[in-house]
Amino acid sequence: MNLRFVGLLAWYYGFRTIIRGPSYIIASLSAPLTLLFIIYIISAGTLVKYAIIGGFIGLVASVALSSSGDAAFFRLQLRIQDLFVASSITPVDYILGLTMSYLVFSFPGIILYVALGTYYHLFTLISALALALILITLVMSTSAISFIIASSIGHIRNVWGIAGILSVVMTVLPPTFYPYTYLPQVAIYALAISPATPAAILAQGVFHLAPFHMGMAYFMVAQTVFYYALARYLTRWRQR
Amino acid sequence: MIRTDEIVKRYRNGTVALHGITLDLDERVTAVIGMNGAGKTTLIRILSTQLEPTSGKAEINGLDIMKNASQIRKNIVSIPQEASPIGILTPFEHVKLYLVGRGMSMSEAERNANISLDQLELREFKHKPSDTLSGGMKRKVFVAMALSANVDTIFLDEPTTGLDPLSRMEVWSAIRQLEGNVILTTHYMDEAHELSDEVVMIHGGKVLEKGNVKSLLSRFKGLVRVETTVPQEKGLQIGRLYIKYVKEEDAEKYLGEGYNIKRITLDDLFISRGMALES
Repeated sequence: MNLRFVGLLAWYYGFRTIIRGPSYIIASLSAPLTLLFIIYIISAGTLVKYAIIGGFIGLVASVALSSSGDAAFFRLQLRIQDLFVASSITPVDYILGLTMSYLVFSFPGIILYVALGTYYHLFTLISALALALILITLVMSTSAISFIIASSIGHIRNVWGIAGILSVVMTVLPPTFYPYTYLPQVAIYALAISPATPAAILAQGVFHLAPFHMGMAYFMVAQTVFYYALARYLTRWRQR
Repeated sequence: MIRTDEIVKRYRNGTVALHGITLDLDERVTAVIGMNGAGKTTLIRILSTQLEPTSGKAEINGLDIMKNASQIRKNIVSIPQEASPIGILTPFEHVKLYLVGRGMSMSEAERNANISLDQLELREFKHKPSDTLSGGMKRKVFVAMALSANVDTIFLDEPTTGLDPLSRMEVWSAIRQLEGNVILTTHYMDEAHELSDEVVMIHGGKVLEKGNVKSLLSRFKGLVRVETTVPQEKGLQIGRLYIKYVKEEDAEKYLGEGYNIKRITLDDLFISRGMALES
């Protein structure tokens, strides 16, 4: 693995986007902040902590899922992926580099949510570390899904539409912004296809907002490994 | 040295893009010419390990493109057709990222990126976002990657498509600075004439002609091309234009209004062979 390349791609594509295209940060923050506002108003502030924790997860997941648009754009329009295929750059380096770039790109939003969480006295050292681990795992699994979607999109005209649908369905429907205990068990199983579901259930447990569910930690790790393996199997670096 | 043996490519939709291409390419610059859809890009993508052939074999410097792909990739650069830089990144960042991806250290990549970008006269633009660059400069960013990678074989797929004449000349100048074997595809005959030591003409997925420009044009020795909109019994018809080849000494007969007399170029190989097959 070429960690220098992974780090440089993450820094250039993540950090440079923040510096040179700040409107994208506002765009990525608009949905979770709007939901935070709505939840605050509707619940008269009682569910605001769910919305803040959900904001971390919604932000990271939606940024990583929207990345399917970028990855497809690189492949179909810019032809950057073809350039990389015919070199010593490996698909793992490329996927990881893009994944890490979305994590870097999420930093301004994460900082904003850290400020909100601090204001509402949400954090302890342990819970903050646990949340960081959850978010790193989440960005890895959602990026793998993104890459699978990006590889299967055949035409550039479908790229942003599919990325948008995916981002909403996989981050807003799961119990990201509301207590997972509101859902029947069968709905949790169905929504577990989205990595945001185990991430949200775990995070709500870690922050004592709902019962802690250790099984979800194992499930989330297994799910990440599964989606990465699926991405390696389904996406072809050299085309047939 | 590139050697192909009966390369066939059949896509999933049944389209056969290559019908058994057998070639030896060992000149410094080879231009692969042909009409749109002739199979040029498919051939380049197969040779540069981006696409699997349906059958047949190919080697680059003795290494099999299927069995030794990872070894081959260390020593080739392939610039895809209509490749475009990422708008928010600068030329310097593109070249450095690419070189680091190829295994260079940060400092070596920075040094090589600076040298190649300066060499291609991108010095004053190298730290500007790529979406502020002209089309020609964007193409030169990719040529800079090829230049700085220090590889044996470089594939350029239609490197000047869509560029204005000045930008094309800038890119030509950049291509001339590349070292190693260069295989470029183009449907601009002047580009093939200007840049290549050898020309391979492909039509319908088959090799029609191969040789240097002089030998390929030897069949037109002593001839000129006459173009007219006046219907001709003999000659080729392209839309409302009629083309025929006459001896230089007979050209005077066509100096009247409605006729154009043109010097023989690679266009004529393209026109005569391509049109003959189309008809």
